[in-house]
Amino acid sequence: MNENYIKIESKAKIENLASIRVCVTSFLSNLNIHFDELMDIKTALSEAVTNAIDHGYSQKNDGIIITEATIIDNEKIVIKVVDFGTGIEDITLAMTPAYTSKPESEHAGMGFTIMESFMDEVIVDSKIDNGTVITMTKTIRKRKSS
Amino acid sequence: MKYKYQNGKLTIYLEEELDMNSCRTLRGVIDGYIMKYQPYELVLDLSGVQFMDSSGIGLILGRYNLIKLLDAKMTVVNATSNIRRVIELSNIKLECVQYE
Repeated sequence: MNENYIKIESKAKIENLASIRVCVTSFLSNLNIHFDELMDIKTALSEAVTNAIDHGYSQKNDGIIITEATIIDNEKIVIKVVDFGTGIEDITLAMTPAYTSKPESEHAGMGFTIMESFMDEVIVDSKIDNGTVITMTKTIRKRKSS
Repeated sequence: MKYKYQNGKLTIYLEEELDMNSCRTLRGVIDGYIMKYQPYELVLDLSGVQFMDSSGIGLILGRYNLIKLLDAKMTVVNATSNIRRVIELSNIKLECVQYE
């Protein structure tokens, strides 16, 4: 098995969201992925990191987020987003389309729906007051024709 | 972000990346223009947007709710195919979205 990965440790600040996206996207572009699939992964990643910052730490800025992107055998991508925040009380409810725990802050409640639609598999592992681990995988189907 | 106001129609040209970070600033700015001009139609032009996640959907829906309160009309135009896929996933039907 051929494996390559990057791991980004960052403060849970919303300003870091774009940097994490750029970093992971740049790492994955080694694979010659088709633009559409790269955008899908980028969007799913953005949702997971946004959740970690906004829900895991309620934007308190004092936590740490670890984002890991792994490429296995040049075709399988695993994205892992870890926070050590509040955890999710009811995972099934949190993953319901259009559900939001913060209706006042104008969220669409589409985060998990986007992750599940754009990736092959999404695994949520959460423990109250311990944090949440989101693991998303996708196998590359479309390559750039170069 | 650029905007244009003409004959009761307010057009907002959104740019770059719409995520939680950019949306929280944009929300106040756009609502400021809506309240200032009280347009009969709001157009959100997405041609300059390169990336959008569900925070962008929240931004669009929030403006839509405000525009409805003002009894005005809203349209979303020029979304690229990738952004269109994100919009289409939102289970709330946006009858105001126009493509091409």
